Amino acid sequence: MSGTIYYISGLAILFGINLIAVWGLDLQFGMTGINSFAFIVFQSAGAYATALLALKPPSSYGSFETYIGGANLPFPLPLIGGAVAGGLIAVPIGLVAVRRLRGDYEAMALLVVSLIATGLVNAQTNWLNGPSGIALVPQPFGGPTVPPQTYHWIFLGITAVCCVIAWWVMRGIARAPLGRLLRAARDSESAASALGRSPHRLRMTALIVGGALAGLSGGLLVEYVTAWSPASWLYQETFLFFTALVVGGRGNLAGAALGVLIVPIGIAEATRRLPSFGYPGLIDSLDFVAIGALMLAFLWFRPNGLLAERKRIIRPRDGSDPASDPAPLGLAARLGLRRAGSR
Amino acid sequence: MTLLVTIVLFGIYSAALLAIGSVGFSMQFGVTNVLNLAYGSILTSCIFVEYWITGHSSNVWLAMLVGALAGAVISFVIGHLVIGAFLNRGASGFSIAMVTIGIALMIEFTLEAIQGPYINTFSANVSSAITISGVSLGGEQLAAIGIAAAAMVAVHMLLRLTKLGLAMRATADDVALTRSCGISPTRTRAVAWLLSGALCGICGVLLGLDEGTFSSSTGDAIFVTIAAAAVVGGIGKPYGAMIGALLVGLVSEGSAAVISPSYKSIAAWVLLIAVLMVRPQGIFAEYASRRELVA
Repeated sequence: MSGTIYYISGLAILFGINLIAVWGLDLQFGMTGINSFAFIVFQSAGAYATALLALKPPSSYGSFETYIGGANLPFPLPLIGGAVAGGLIAVPIGLVAVRRLRGDYEAMALLVVSLIATGLVNAQTNWLNGPSGIALVPQPFGGPTVPPQTYHWIFLGITAVCCVIAWWVMRGIARAPLGRLLRAARDSESAASALGRSPHRLRMTALIVGGALAGLSGGLLVEYVTAWSPASWLYQETFLFFTALVVGGRGNLAGAALGVLIVPIGIAEATRRLPSFGYPGLIDSLDFVAIGALMLAFLWFRPNGLLAERKRIIRPRDGSDPASDPAPLGLAARLGLRRAGSR
Repeated sequence: MTLLVTIVLFGIYSAALLAIGSVGFSMQFGVTNVLNLAYGSILTSCIFVEYWITGHSSNVWLAMLVGALAGAVISFVIGHLVIGAFLNRGASGFSIAMVTIGIALMIEFTLEAIQGPYINTFSANVSSAITISGVSLGGEQLAAIGIAAAAMVAVHMLLRLTKLGLAMRATADDVALTRSCGISPTRTRAVAWLLSGALCGICGVLLGLDEGTFSSSTGDAIFVTIAAAAVVGGIGKPYGAMIGALLVGLVSEGSAAVISPSYKSIAAWVLLIAVLMVRPQGIFAEYASRRELVA
């Protein structure tokens, strides 16, 4: 019984961590329409930054791993640093790919950026300990004296607070004029420019804020699992998040949450509980086959996802619905005229 | 001197292998206008099929034939049947990219599930055929360069001398005009998927035999380098892809020799990003494509 509670509380933590990341992706892709195929790089930048800020210098662990820094800052500074790093790394990525390129070219450039980042971390073993990755990341309020189940509750609390912050940011943007502008830049870049708004600046804003959310999620993840290596952020992980958005429905916060519940938690994490068969890692491989199949199935049967983005209609003052009227009659309604028998 | 000879010889050799793959990729993108992110996984599955069927024979010709057939069939099924069905439903460009990625994930991880997380090995026999100022190329490597050259000539003749080639070039330039001339774009596209798959298969088999080892993720990194060669030369332009492959081959072998072997692929990818930033239509394109490219 206690094992089940431990398992479920762990899943709840991972749900929160993934939810923050998918909200970040929703801001970049769902609301603004950037084909953010380098998304995992934002999460990873946050994870590495948090790890380096929380760890002591390598020499204090007997130098078995090499990395730059080791600031040993107290909670919550490493997490804030992770979010900042995720936002900062969005700037060069945005300059490379998002300013000029669109569509297929943007997607390909970002995919390549993701591979270059993994390649560099693997090749430069003295920066972030290369392919072996960084381990022994200290957990906030953790230690040998805290029992594992108690620690799960503590970490679930931290995750929940971060989720509330992320929700507040996302909801604020979705309701603010900024959210309307981002959707405008997605739906018609030329219309946004015609209204005097720079689509470049809007896309960059979405990339930075979404990157910061991803960085926060990466920081939480590295503090939860206490280790991070290039194998944790292969380019396939980006598509885990994309599948979550396609399944749940992009452009709305609840859709993202539903997608996270189904894809990263339901398929990728919960199946680890299955009795193991085959070689170690077989279930993980089959998970990705299932994720690819789910992506195809949803794009075929339900391309807008389970919870589709609702149509945003600006109603005239008298409360009539302009969508049900052709445009001239909408104008007539505003002038107080009524079509015979219409209402 | 030896360093320079190494870079040039191995650069030409890498370029020969890359050119086969990137000409196929570029031709298919040009004719069908689909960014096929599953190209790398088609390549991987060709190596697997070849390994399962003729893995222990050292006959390069048989291996290539099997690889080309496997590639053509897989590419036709994925491109013409699956992606074609999505296109007929009016899927957006982004959906198509996601479909190709979904297919790529399914292929790659099905292969991994079948084969396990192991690295497979071909029983290769390395012989030394020629030596130029201290650098030697093996017989297989010379054969690969010859095969690549033959493939390039064949593609050239197909595109320039046959009606089919004319139809393919016309479809790549203007679909509506081509259709009004009585040429079926559907048929031309089917041929493009078949041909690009066959080239992909040959490229994969030669790469697999060259490296000696492969795994279910072999195609991923190679695919991006192939795409780099195609983009550098101007994507959708098979001739550009040949020159692009030569540039990418020289740059990656150069950086492997000068900086470190672990930078071999990274250099090619950075070149891709640099070209996309400065001249997205490719170095050798004479005019900007009408495709949605830059804002």
